[in-house]
Amino acid sequence: MIALGGKMIPCYTVQRNLACIQRTVGGVHWTSSCRPAPLLTASPVCALIDDKISIRGHFLPPRCPVTVCAQMQSDDGDLWEAFAHFNTNLDGTVNLTRDPSVGGSYLGCEPMGLLWGLQPAPGAREGLRLRKKKVETPYVMLMSLLKGHVSPSERPSTELAAVTAERWYMAPGVRRIEIRQKGVVGTLFLPPGPGPFPAMLDLWGMGGGLVEYRSALFASRGYASFSLAYIGHKDLPGPQNRINVGDPYFKSAFQLLQDHPQVYPDRIGIIGLSFGVYLTLRLANHSDIKPSCLICINGPAGSTIKLRDADDRTEQMENDQKYWTYDDQGNVSFRAVSLPANLSPESKVKLEHLTCPLMYIVGEDDLSASSIENANLIEETLSATGKSQLFTRLSYPGAGHLIEPPYTPNSRVSLWSVKPQKLATLWGGHLAPHAAAQEDSWKKILEFMETNLRH
Amino acid sequence: MDMKQHCVKLSVQPSRGLVDEKFTVLVQNLLPGFQLTIHALHQCEDGHSWEAFAHYTANATSIVNVSQDPSLGGTYSGVEPMGLLWSLRPVPGSKTGLRLRKMNVQTPMGVTISVYQGHQKEGFLDQVLLASVVVERWYMAPGVRRVPITEGRLTATLFLPSGPGPFPGLLDLWGWGGKLVEYRAALLASHGIASMALDYLTPKETGRMVDNDYFETAYRVLEQHPQILGSRIAMLGLSFGAGVTLRMAVYSKGLKLSCAVCINGSHVQPIDGPLEQIMTYFNKNVEKTRFDEDNQLICRDLMLPIPTDPSLKVDVGRLQCPLLLVVGEDDQNWPTYESAMDMREMMERAGNSHLLTVLSYKNAGHLIQPPFTPFTRASTFKSVTIPPFTMMALWGGELVAHSRAQEDAWRKTLVFLRENLYGDMKPGALFSNL
Repeated sequence: MIALGGKMIPCYTVQRNLACIQRTVGGVHWTSSCRPAPLLTASPVCALIDDKISIRGHFLPPRCPVTVCAQMQSDDGDLWEAFAHFNTNLDGTVNLTRDPSVGGSYLGCEPMGLLWGLQPAPGAREGLRLRKKKVETPYVMLMSLLKGHVSPSERPSTELAAVTAERWYMAPGVRRIEIRQKGVVGTLFLPPGPGPFPAMLDLWGMGGGLVEYRSALFASRGYASFSLAYIGHKDLPGPQNRINVGDPYFKSAFQLLQDHPQVYPDRIGIIGLSFGVYLTLRLANHSDIKPSCLICINGPAGSTIKLRDADDRTEQMENDQKYWTYDDQGNVSFRAVSLPANLSPESKVKLEHLTCPLMYIVGEDDLSASSIENANLIEETLSATGKSQLFTRLSYPGAGHLIEPPYTPNSRVSLWSVKPQKLATLWGGHLAPHAAAQEDSWKKILEFMETNLRH
Repeated sequence: MDMKQHCVKLSVQPSRGLVDEKFTVLVQNLLPGFQLTIHALHQCEDGHSWEAFAHYTANATSIVNVSQDPSLGGTYSGVEPMGLLWSLRPVPGSKTGLRLRKMNVQTPMGVTISVYQGHQKEGFLDQVLLASVVVERWYMAPGVRRVPITEGRLTATLFLPSGPGPFPGLLDLWGWGGKLVEYRAALLASHGIASMALDYLTPKETGRMVDNDYFETAYRVLEQHPQILGSRIAMLGLSFGAGVTLRMAVYSKGLKLSCAVCINGSHVQPIDGPLEQIMTYFNKNVEKTRFDEDNQLICRDLMLPIPTDPSLKVDVGRLQCPLLLVVGEDDQNWPTYESAMDMREMMERAGNSHLLTVLSYKNAGHLIQPPFTPFTRASTFKSVTIPPFTMMALWGGELVAHSRAQEDAWRKTLVFLRENLYGDMKPGALFSNL
């Protein structure tokens, strides 16, 4: 130790006053000049989308009305919010895992209600659906604890505490790889670790584009997963409103996965939602494609339109329109398009050749596809060929078409197209039962994958 | 036996967490009786690699759960949920005297947790790797704001919790090493306390050490902040910072502290005169320092025996706010235990010992840090004096006891701070989220 030179300054002693009053007496004191604001906690504060979080308020007066409010901005900049009214416990706490909501976006004890109960904030654009485009960043959720039973618009005047939480589709170490190979357009997600990994081919519906979030989540759970685009993507051939690819395209995608050095070639499953179900079944039907399992959510076993055929012809999507129906508000339902009676007979997939387990998930309030009827069709076909042991059905009353990873809000109706005029489409699904369906089906999907891809 | 790689499932929950949050490491789909090694690897900011590992054998349930199953050997043994972090040590071949400290708190500590076949001790890069995940450990919770402070010629960083506030405030001081060390303040802000990390030792343009007015300026910045409750400000110091905290708590007219936390420090210092005088005092006694058989410097005797001369000790009998003393009984750098006992005696005589809480940990050393911080018994230390003096300082402590002390002390420090900064509350309500 080496000394520093220094000068002397006079030492002074102080007569100190006590700090401020320790107790507040009588009445309900939310905040005072002495006592700072109550505390709101969320745990874990950075979670994956399919993780449950525990939200709690502390240091509140006992038996008092409070509101917990959640706000989140989508990738497009729209604000989504949810709120729930509680009465604090005798010990001055509120705990969303224990306490029932007595009003707001949901009712009853629902630990994740503030997440699946999110709605576009007042003044938002019409017909929104919450979908994450950029999976490498989290959703940032601002949760607030408000005084009284109020709505979120009263937030500035009544806010007692806040906490910020992150919700991620990608776990640390997951790798996102853009694939543009042999004409195949997609995004591959690889889990962290040495590999090889069991894998999933991930297919969505006619909404098109490249939907990555479910794949990102599979990779976060240890499966390589490949989201495949087949319509409505700039890197695909032909006009974006038609399917301009055919069987060879989907086979290439499957083979691409098989050939990948970090994928087990004989441990690949296929998952499809909506029209993706038809593509899943069609692909699995090829004798040289041997998936380990299939997961079909709310989709048809056949099609009304043809995929690109040998002579490079694709049929117009408008042929479907004769099956469209409309409700009083002019919202369109595509449900009848996939009624087995309306599917072209030659398109119906020959399930007799199926060799791997198939899980079919039905939302009984699906207004976009004839899911119940198609599930029945598939079950009957497999039964007739002595393969009913391959079939598992999960059926959810009150759930709609868009059965997606859990704790994300359902849109009963959303904007489908803006040309030639604004058209919104009905998906179906009632808030709480749909949320329950997403939670339960996701758990069962992961178990199904575990059984068929890991063992 | 051989394990099929596609079966093995490794998960760490949560995969992103605060540094003081526990995680659960689960390895599933194993064959009963299968032997495996769980390995943790972290590359710190200065490029050095740190590792920990533990041997497990899968039981009949085919699962290894680090929170429930015993390690049979490695860098820790027994049931230790967080052993993979606190037993991290420099990989073989690293230079000596390393210490793990995160200086950039805006990025996480990345730890790779891996599963290897068999009970491995070394050469992990060449072993059969079955699975691997990445875990992020953060000092800053989402929404916490980092605000560099330059007013009043302070070198400081303020961390504000997320939300509207108002928040209680805290001044956070480290010891002789100087520099602006932000991680503890960032973590305290993640627990709802607006905390200012204050560098008071790194030589400024004047070449002279700061004095009381520097800390009073820092306090005023907190007091006047629109989101901070001026009436609820605490001070927390480690090592020399603890001595400064005591000095300010008792003698400073400008500071009205709600409470003070002193970790492994002492009240022994010349109280007449500026802060600089303390350096002179220590310098006078420098021949009392000694080296152990490994040539590591033991400084604790510098201040021993505890003087009876009142001008050489902060008069803690005059303290008017609650004080928490955290004592590592094996502290080889400062005479923490002896000082704490003397302080207790002084306060008992003065009649204010009801303000005192002492947490004393057997076999814990000097560097009592936030939980799961890897233990360092000795490391290279560079003083802030001009010219700087580098040595291998012996901090003391034993791995397991010290790690337990860090966890327990942090929990109790947060309770203490909340009790004194948030007023009336039941302790039970607090523990539930720690």
